[in-house]
Amino acid sequence: MKKRVFYWISGNNVREPVVSLVVLETGAMVNILKAKMEPREGFLILEVTGSELQVDSAITILKKYGEAEDIPKIIQKDDNLCIDCGSCVVHCPVGALSVDSDYKILLDEDECIGCKNCAKVCPVNAIKVFEI
Amino acid sequence: MKTVFEINEKIRNNNAVVVTAEEMISIVDELGAEKAALEVDVVTTGTFGAMCSSGAFLNFGHSDPPIKMYRTLINGVEAYSGVAAVDAYMGATQVNSDDDIDIAYGGAHVLEDLVAGKEVELVAEGYTTDCYPRKKVATTITIDDLNQAILINPRNCYQSYNGATNSTEEKLYTYMGALLPEYGNLNYSGAGQLNPMQNDYNRETKTYNTLGMGTRIFLGGAEGYIIGAGTQHSPNNAFGTMMVKGNLKEMNIKYLRGATIPKYGCTLFMGIGVPIPVLNAEIAKACAIKDEDIQIPVLDYGVPRRSRPTVGTINYNEARTGKVKLEVEVSGKKVEKTIKTASVSSYKVSREISKELQDWILNGEFMLTERLEPLEKYAPKPMKAKMKLVKDILSRPAVVGTIKMSITEASRILIENNINHLPIVDEKEMLSGIITSWDIAKAMAQDIGSISEIMTKSVLCATPDETIDMAARKMSRNNISGLPIVDSNNMVVGVVSAEDISKLIGRTGLNKI
Ligand code: SF4
Ligand code: SF4
Repeated sequence: MKKRVFYWISGNNVREPVVSLVVLETGAMVNILKAKMEPREGFLILEVTGSELQVDSAITILKKYGEAEDIPKIIQKDDNLCIDCGSCVVHCPVGALSVDSDYKILLDEDECIGCKNCAKVCPVNAIKVFEI
Repeated sequence: MKTVFEINEKIRNNNAVVVTAEEMISIVDELGAEKAALEVDVVTTGTFGAMCSSGAFLNFGHSDPPIKMYRTLINGVEAYSGVAAVDAYMGATQVNSDDDIDIAYGGAHVLEDLVAGKEVELVAEGYTTDCYPRKKVATTITIDDLNQAILINPRNCYQSYNGATNSTEEKLYTYMGALLPEYGNLNYSGAGQLNPMQNDYNRETKTYNTLGMGTRIFLGGAEGYIIGAGTQHSPNNAFGTMMVKGNLKEMNIKYLRGATIPKYGCTLFMGIGVPIPVLNAEIAKACAIKDEDIQIPVLDYGVPRRSRPTVGTINYNEARTGKVKLEVEVSGKKVEKTIKTASVSSYKVSREISKELQDWILNGEFMLTERLEPLEKYAPKPMKAKMKLVKDILSRPAVVGTIKMSITEASRILIENNINHLPIVDEKEMLSGIITSWDIAKAMAQDIGSISEIMTKSVLCATPDETIDMAARKMSRNNISGLPIVDSNNMVVGVVSAEDISKLIGRTGLNKI
């Protein structure tokens, strides 16, 4: 499974290698989608991939050092607006968009990293990407 | 063998056999064309894609006091009103006149909003006459307030279309969508084996078997008609088009959608389906055309000229797999490259159209018509316009500097020649940088002594065979005022500056370029 979290860390914990700790102790994979570090606080967007157990223990470790909050959704494709043209598919760097056997264009929200490439090429504004 | 009259009788009696063009493929494969022609009465086709050449005549009715509209805006988009007092033609690609809204909202969106039943804002100015004293109207209307809203599209339903790819190092934005650098993608358009004109095309005579002026069709979710060949109709090379007409008031936004192609402009996605009466075996055979039999010439849109170089040819079947292999030239060498393909039209909706038309006919709601005239046989010609190339305005010999030169020497050359750009060449006389008078001024102020420290090393250049328009666009896109012109050996043959180009436009008028 895959889970994305806003992660906020402050005080002395800023200097802890939290992400490495999570990887070492749980074996989950952690992707840093965004990071902003200040002297006394840090703000990250993390994507944790692994089994349910791995993801849960990863979140527990994260919470030990800071605050973690789920990011429910970063992208939305309005199927009423989408005309299934397929222009967006090749512009997705992670393969989150695909064509099914009926030529319908599918979006795998879990794979999306929010780069907005698809939203920029969509001729009918069917895709909204939320700022994270 | 069969007649349209007989087929209509069968439709009325509920015993017509109607299949989609996709279904017809396996029927002809199984039975052969002769038997299929006996078996099947109508084949339905469909296509849904961007069709720029579209628009609608709108009649607003008379205001009180009456106005003769000469500038007409709907939701800020201008409609051509040089027709009659209260008639206007809203073209699909007309962009919003408000700079803030830009190309993201245009004629196509106005048409979609009207079809959706939304209120739109009408602002019109008139020049006053004794019979039309009113100067201005500003009101909101819906499609129900219009007397007529008649879609008349001069060129729709291209039979075939080119695929587009991009050999350059820059991302390009074209009417075929965004093209990634270095053959990053290949965009194609069209319904292939479901396309109305493909299914009706006689490959021997290069004419259309059944469709022509008067053919009743599915247009934007309503009944419409073919009223003749479309503009740029080119049946000889299977690039036929048609002109169509229908009542906008009856259409459905599922099949008529305003769209914006990024950094290109707006266009209308139109859904069109044509029923083909299967009158004989020849027609049946044509309707069995398959995706793999329809070629897509792939052109390099990196060359912005009328004749773009062909990179290769693929077919619709290959295109639909999502990637194709093409042999392309990369820095002078032929290499095989796997290129991702992207459709810019919808096969899914094309299918839905062929099915919906099939249902209409099976339910007895749609009768076929016999054409009054076949489509005219045109062969499109290019525009008669002179083209100027960069080499036509180059003054020779080229003024260049060398890396070893002092800044003072370089500035003297600029002053003596009354120029602002000095290409810098190496020992082999190949271009290695460029300096401008501004760079020299900066060098003076900062006390820098050598050319190599102030020159711009990655130089944007042009070739003598590029058009002046291309050079001008390069400068404005990159916000620079001069381009060194180099030959194939990277030797400088001259410089073209923004000033040269504006002088040329000033002297000869835009139309002469
Ligand atoms: S936002 Fe980027 S990653 Fe997400 S679906 Fe669109 S192109 Fe793919
Ligand atoms: S580009 Fe837009 S309309 Fe086309 S398939 Fe993607 S989301 Fe749908």
